Amino acid sequence: MIIAERRPLSEILKNIEAYERIMVLGCRGCVAICSAGGDREVAILAEALRLGREKKGKPVQVLEETFIRQCDPEYLEPLKDIKDKVEAVVSLACGVGVNLIADLYPDIRVYPGVDTTFYGANLSLGEWVEKCRGCGDCIIDLTAGLCPIARCAKNLLNGPCGGSQRGRCEVKAEMPCIWHEIVERLTKRGELERLLEIWTAKDWRPAGGDGLRTRFREDLLDS
Amino acid sequence: MENSFKIAILCCNYTNLAEREDLADIVARIEVKRYPCSGKIEITDILRAFREGAKGVMVAGCARGTCHNLRGSDRAERRVVGARATLKELEIEPERVEMFFVSRLDAGDFAEKAKEFYRRILKLELKERTQ
Ligand code: SF4
Repeated sequence: MIIAERRPLSEILKNIEAYERIMVLGCRGCVAICSAGGDREVAILAEALRLGREKKGKPVQVLEETFIRQCDPEYLEPLKDIKDKVEAVVSLACGVGVNLIADLYPDIRVYPGVDTTFYGANLSLGEWVEKCRGCGDCIIDLTAGLCPIARCAKNLLNGPCGGSQRGRCEVKAEMPCIWHEIVERLTKRGELERLLEIWTAKDWRPAGGDGLRTRFREDLLDS
Repeated sequence: MENSFKIAILCCNYTNLAEREDLADIVARIEVKRYPCSGKIEITDILRAFREGAKGVMVAGCARGTCHNLRGSDRAERRVVGARATLKELEIEPERVEMFFVSRLDAGDFAEKAKEFYRRILKLELKERTQ
């Protein structure tokens, strides 16, 4: 899922400084699952902003709402009515939601309430770890399902770099050297020679180097 | 005149058996909010208590291992951690909210901890007023 983290309250408070009536808008998609922008986080942020503003002697009215998703235009439709009721919206959706609101409702002053950080897995309660970088040209069929782009500090395509020690990464000792794991796993499977194959140069255009990324599925498109 | 020095106590139904006279030494307005279980106390409840004027918020749950709902007071403890982080961001001393594990059937234990907390908050208040 997309992982996000609430932005510092000081930043959010600065963004809404000029307003007296705002809305904190959550999303029940990824950000709810990663406990950054669902109903509960909306309530906490709203209360924190009220408290922060009261402390400054400049109370703010904060409406609370959470949409099923913010990355689909149809779920954003209630904004048509909301936009006249508030001066600004703080969205707790990932950057996709904030951008889509900005695209579709240019009259709404929308501010990000979270930093969108990575694609990750929820390893235990309160712990998320990056697993994929969305590079658009998957190579993990060659690396035993483990992604060196996302999980190697140097994004190496031909590791280990030589700095790994006892299976740990030289850049960040708390993380395992993913190349060490790839080699170990392929060795166990008797497939290590796969790493001797010369790969063609990785195409980085699908990673975003070629401008805005899009996807079309012909059979679903309205003709 | 109403005492403006207010302490909010958020607790589960079973932890606070203290009577008014047990807390008589506390020269502050005490506002007690009871929940079916301390695990039901949310970060928002703690923040709201501050917004409603509390100078300190005492969160009380059953001693570990004695919660009716098994982990209610452990949950409350985590919520206090979350509330403290938020207070810190707002430049409010995080120690103004504190988790207390109290024995279920002993009003004396609860009252003692409430007094202890009151004294700490009073100190913070006095420090703030002299600044
Ligand atoms: S030690 Fe391993 S994970 Fe760390 S940078 Fe080198 S190859 Fe990458």
